[in-house]
Amino acid sequence: MDATEALEHHPHATPPIDPDPPRLPSPPPTATATATDPLNNPYASLNDLSHELSSLQELATRGSWRSILDKVARARTNHLLTKPHEHLTYLSFHLIALTKLRRFADAVAELDSLDSDLDSPNYHYQSYPHHYPNITGSMVPFVLRWLHAELPAKLGNRQETLDRFYTLLHFVRLKLSDSSKLSHFCVELWKKREVFVINTIISHHLSHKEFVICLALIKDLIGKSEGSSSEDKAALLSKLGYVQMQFGDLEGAKATFSLIEGLVSEGKGGVEMENLVSRNKALLYIVGRDYVSAVREYDVCIERDGGDAVAINNKALCLMYLRDLSDSIKVLENALERVPTAMLNETIVVNLCSMYELAYVNHSDIKRTLSNWISRVAPDDFDASSTRI
Amino acid sequence: MSGTQAAPHSLAFRVMRLCKPTFHVETPLRFDPFDLLTGEDLLNDPVAAQHLPRLLGSQSINSKSTESDLTYRSRFLLQDPYDAVGLSGLLVLPQSFGAIYLGETFCSYVSINNSSNFEARDIVIKAEIQTERQRILLLDTSKTPVESIRAGGRYDFIVEHDVKELGPHTLVCTALYSDADVERKYLPQFFKFIVANPLSVRTKVRVVKETTFLEACLENHTKSNLYMDQVEFEPAQHWSATLLKADDHHSGNDALTREIFKTPPILIRSGGGIHNYLYQLKTSALESAQMKVEGSNILGKLQITWRTNLGEPGRLQTQQILGSPITRKEIELQAVEVPSVIILEKPFTVHLNLTNQTDRMLGPFEVWLSQSDSHDEKVVMVNGLQTIVLPHVEAFSSTDFQLNFIAMKLGVQKISGITVFDTKEKKIHDPLPDLEVCYLYLGGLVSTLNIFVDSD
Repeated sequence: MDATEALEHHPHATPPIDPDPPRLPSPPPTATATATDPLNNPYASLNDLSHELSSLQELATRGSWRSILDKVARARTNHLLTKPHEHLTYLSFHLIALTKLRRFADAVAELDSLDSDLDSPNYHYQSYPHHYPNITGSMVPFVLRWLHAELPAKLGNRQETLDRFYTLLHFVRLKLSDSSKLSHFCVELWKKREVFVINTIISHHLSHKEFVICLALIKDLIGKSEGSSSEDKAALLSKLGYVQMQFGDLEGAKATFSLIEGLVSEGKGGVEMENLVSRNKALLYIVGRDYVSAVREYDVCIERDGGDAVAINNKALCLMYLRDLSDSIKVLENALERVPTAMLNETIVVNLCSMYELAYVNHSDIKRTLSNWISRVAPDDFDASSTRI
Repeated sequence: MSGTQAAPHSLAFRVMRLCKPTFHVETPLRFDPFDLLTGEDLLNDPVAAQHLPRLLGSQSINSKSTESDLTYRSRFLLQDPYDAVGLSGLLVLPQSFGAIYLGETFCSYVSINNSSNFEARDIVIKAEIQTERQRILLLDTSKTPVESIRAGGRYDFIVEHDVKELGPHTLVCTALYSDADVERKYLPQFFKFIVANPLSVRTKVRVVKETTFLEACLENHTKSNLYMDQVEFEPAQHWSATLLKADDHHSGNDALTREIFKTPPILIRSGGGIHNYLYQLKTSALESAQMKVEGSNILGKLQITWRTNLGEPGRLQTQQILGSPITRKEIELQAVEVPSVIILEKPFTVHLNLTNQTDRMLGPFEVWLSQSDSHDEKVVMVNGLQTIVLPHVEAFSSTDFQLNFIAMKLGVQKISGITVFDTKEKKIHDPLPDLEVCYLYLGGLVSTLNIFVDSD
């Protein structure tokens, strides 16, 4: 059952618009509540937004994507979704689950099965005034547009994905250009979406080592980041530093990292920022082949935050470059056991398996032990092929 | 009597190339709750705008602490906007041997594993690189053998070698050891790789007036983009070099972006990308006769340092780059004085100087204006003796003489064809390439003199 079947268009006319309508209490959740009545908040919990949304969100944070597929299927079969937008929310969770489980062809098929284009009036609040009185605009969750752009690359059509993301960027910018219609909060939200889309575009170009265009896009983002928090600016500049380091511009990376340190001393700091600065420092030690100092910096990070997976992983690699393969393995194994939800990451598993392959002539046994442990602990979307068994 | 079957080895070498790690990059599937849990325009509604930020804000990662959080929310929710770039700083070990190029450093982790149930003792380990031309020893524990590797244990080392030859290379690892069996065992293992050429450099040299221009085109034959960290021209003795660059385009809306992006990096694309460098070279020597040497003209060489991921360096220098050969200028002919006003069909005199730039006496000479083969009207005619005889000129000295002409055509004219013939050595000196008009070179037919002929 797809979203369009449930969306009915009610053709009765809307009442004449009173410029200053009295606000009347109406049955939740579609009614508008008085601004001064906190007890009648129509959005007290996630379930007010959509049917059993709390449960969906909970499953998602636990990585139980197969359960989400079941839940969506059940909701559709048993006609549990009564409002048009709920179908779109459930569709979004369904698509994310399929994509997370690497069932890309299924995800594309489902998205293609929508009868209407995402910009169709079928997905406008004002098309269903008895469901959504006084609400106008698109009910499409932005994530659906993002997935529509991302999925072709998963099936091998990278060019289509890039084209769709650049088109999506244009769409977002058009929304922003007409910002007089939007509330301040909406403008901020659409600006965030603009940054989200640019970031995704950067990650695609980066995967293909198209560094020059990444620099141009990051430069654009830096220009837009004037009003951001120090933490966000530091995060963005760190990406720039990593890109510079990745293609070999060490002087550029050094200069970028020292800009970040300047930001941190301005801001209030906090463990996140302090660890970011320390990890950046460690990277500079690594490129200078001073692995001992890099390990020291990473230890400081781990002391501050025992779940800093990047610090732990990178420290283990440094130990390897210091000829200490045994300790590098121990660092990763211990951390996986101690903070699995932070450490269970496909890249970290790939690194550990590379170390096993070097350390043991018969490494299949130890990799199997790891694989068994992973299958007990990992979320549904964990890519088990990372153990290369 | 030992059996014909070789006893199995207790030890085995495991090898992993240890070039620099890379950053993991992957487009994440992580979202902002506002992009998933509501319609994209719902926040237009004032009621939604009033309540949803608080509700959805509580869903974000930052509202929960990291260590006690036992969910995988960081695989689903964005923590900061730039998480969407998918570049967390997580490093990955090299996943394959990859390609290796001249000028790079070969670095490898070597681990000797004892997978048997017995201790291995007195292990003499050697590691060397063998190429077509030589063997280079990287490690030798003969003087201090490794005492023991227990059952299930390992001995590790890291070797490094600057690659300076092309073609096939073999990393040979050998271990001579004792285990439970009586005889000492010898384990050789071979790991082969091929070194290829990363770059080719094509040069062009052009001389314009007193300046020599050198254009160097670098082409990248590797599978990675190469960041040109330093490309420097080291001029030969008596030369100086300046790199010519286009003006930097200082774009950027604000001081911060201008600061960060002020020098765009030079990245040569993998698999055939090119970049050109242009140098202006000048001789720092005085323009004295003694400095002009026959034969090859060595300009200098290029020193190239490139970097790949995480700054992994490679270094090469080119062979000596040659300029155009300097023609031996035994004799220099110069116009010393030309009249400022030359009237048509009236005689005029040009004062000339002939300099002997060799260390021996030359001459005597004959000087004449050779007839051009074309049927164009003559520009000038020689007035008086058609052939002037000049006496010997001593080494490094000169002689002055005059030529008398009658101008035949109006306007700016060139006199070509002033020829100098050495009567003793019986030769006309070789012509030189296109030259500035203010000099008269021994070029036979190429000597030219610019004059302006006016009418009466």
